[in-house]
Amino acid sequence: MLEFSRMKISRQIVLPKENWMNVIKYLMMACCLWASAVLADPPPNYPFVNFDAGLKAARASGKPIFLYFGRYGCAWCDHTNKKTFSDESLKTLYSDHYELVYVDAESGRRVTLPSGERITEAELGVRLQAFATPLFVYMTPQGEKIMQIPGFKTVQDFRDYDRYVHGGHYKQKTLLEFLGGKS
Amino acid sequence: MRSILPLMLVALASSAQAAWEWSEALTVNSAQGAKIFPHIESANRQGIAVSGGAVGVVWEDNRNGSPQCYLAIKPAAAKAFQPEIRLSQTECYEPVVVALGAGRFVAAWEEAGKVHARGVPGNAALKLTEAESAQATLAVGAGKLYAAWAEQAGQFRRIVVASLTEKRGVLNINHAQPVETAAPIDEQGWPALAIAGDGSVTVAWEDRRNHHTVPMVSQSLDGRSFASPARLIEIRSGSADGLGAGIGAMRPTLSAWGKQGVAAAWLDKRDFLSGYDVYAALDTGTRRFGSNLKVQDSFGDNMVQWHAKIVSDASGRLLAVWDDARDGTPDVWLAEWKGEAFGDDVAVPAASGTGEQADPVAVLDESGGLHLAWLERDEKNGTRIRYVRGTSR
Repeated sequence: MLEFSRMKISRQIVLPKENWMNVIKYLMMACCLWASAVLADPPPNYPFVNFDAGLKAARASGKPIFLYFGRYGCAWCDHTNKKTFSDESLKTLYSDHYELVYVDAESGRRVTLPSGERITEAELGVRLQAFATPLFVYMTPQGEKIMQIPGFKTVQDFRDYDRYVHGGHYKQKTLLEFLGGKS
Repeated sequence: MRSILPLMLVALASSAQAAWEWSEALTVNSAQGAKIFPHIESANRQGIAVSGGAVGVVWEDNRNGSPQCYLAIKPAAAKAFQPEIRLSQTECYEPVVVALGAGRFVAAWEEAGKVHARGVPGNAALKLTEAESAQATLAVGAGKLYAAWAEQAGQFRRIVVASLTEKRGVLNINHAQPVETAAPIDEQGWPALAIAGDGSVTVAWEDRRNHHTVPMVSQSLDGRSFASPARLIEIRSGSADGLGAGIGAMRPTLSAWGKQGVAAAWLDKRDFLSGYDVYAALDTGTRRFGSNLKVQDSFGDNMVQWHAKIVSDASGRLLAVWDDARDGTPDVWLAEWKGEAFGDDVAVPAASGTGEQADPVAVLDESGGLHLAWLERDEKNGTRIRYVRGTSR
């Protein structure tokens, strides 16, 4: 459908001026289709990359990895994107502190684990024993898991997790100990 | 009462296991090591076949530094698998195998972004596709051989089905066409094929046209003209309170069942708090799949199930295999169709217990024996592909 719409757009562009309204109409249609096609994918305007690119970037930058394990069409992912990741300050915080990786829970796209093993994105869910999406995994720059957090979380939750991971507290304390210490 | 309950559970589990007798487990792959990673995942989980009593198992591993596909055969009278043969020349993924009878096999795989197939014993591989393609599968039945794969068509992949012939190890492609003529509007992949007793072709696949993953199915009487796709899952697409697009359901598998039927099983997340469950649907020969059936029993309800495969034969025998970690670590489980529902889950003894046993592939032979292969993961010593044959009493 998207391809079809693009074809129509390119045809309309060579038509006379009066058809520019049609061009706008088709552009709007294409935008709507694009919006629905990326439903429940990573939150918009965040610099999420695939697993292999994120791991490579993390090794180079030394930043930890924030892995968003989402499912195409997942309602709770959509909810998290709209309620939590829409926060501009959270976007800045996570974009600055992490290499952001998005993994599609049902995809056959290939990823290479730090061990050198090549698996699919869906198989990564098996290794993580992911029972629900969204699932958020914090990893060291070398790709070792620090912790994984399932389900919807608030902006404040993600700020707390960031203090725990980015502050290096995970090396000494469990998350519960750290959060208990906060209050 | 509390003290009696564990004893009752043990007794129930023992009686379920006693219904099966298992051969000694064998190791299939000859190359193992901490940095060698074998995989048996494939479209329709078609990684094992039995041909005239000979057992063939295919997989991919990286022993030579790049992923290559292999086939190992255990001849009918042999006690062990022969050293594997390499099927591919360059990067290879997700091989499948089917039996042609009399010890002959056909394997297919993705290599360098194209689908290839080869008869074994036989000559050089045949490239089945020119366009970018992946996730190949094969099916035989009613004297016919078909292949299916996911092929790039513009922005997305779509499902293509091809009729093949094999003569003295030489493969030929008769015709290949997409299941739907219209260009795909979102991703399609992981096709499963079954040739029913009447020669009709059923193809199922993952489809994202409704903005979430839905197993779809289409059928053809002649292998050329396919009906409009139907959903395998009964749950409708749609958002919940304006959020998302629907449940997740993935990796459909198919198997010809009984004289004219087809059985399907897939992973299904309609109960989203406990991960994927194994669901099935049956076409008794009407070319319409019936209601969705939950496969695993209530002991597995709170666990996430993975790697489901439906297995059946012409006599009407039907079962599903998968893995889950209800006992602490991943084990291979099976459940047999009892006429109105699937029976109790049974752990396969050689594929359960301590350690990690997962990723089963399975097939029934002509005498009703179940041939099962799976991955036994060991980070220190390397992963082994294990094989066992089971007969039910």
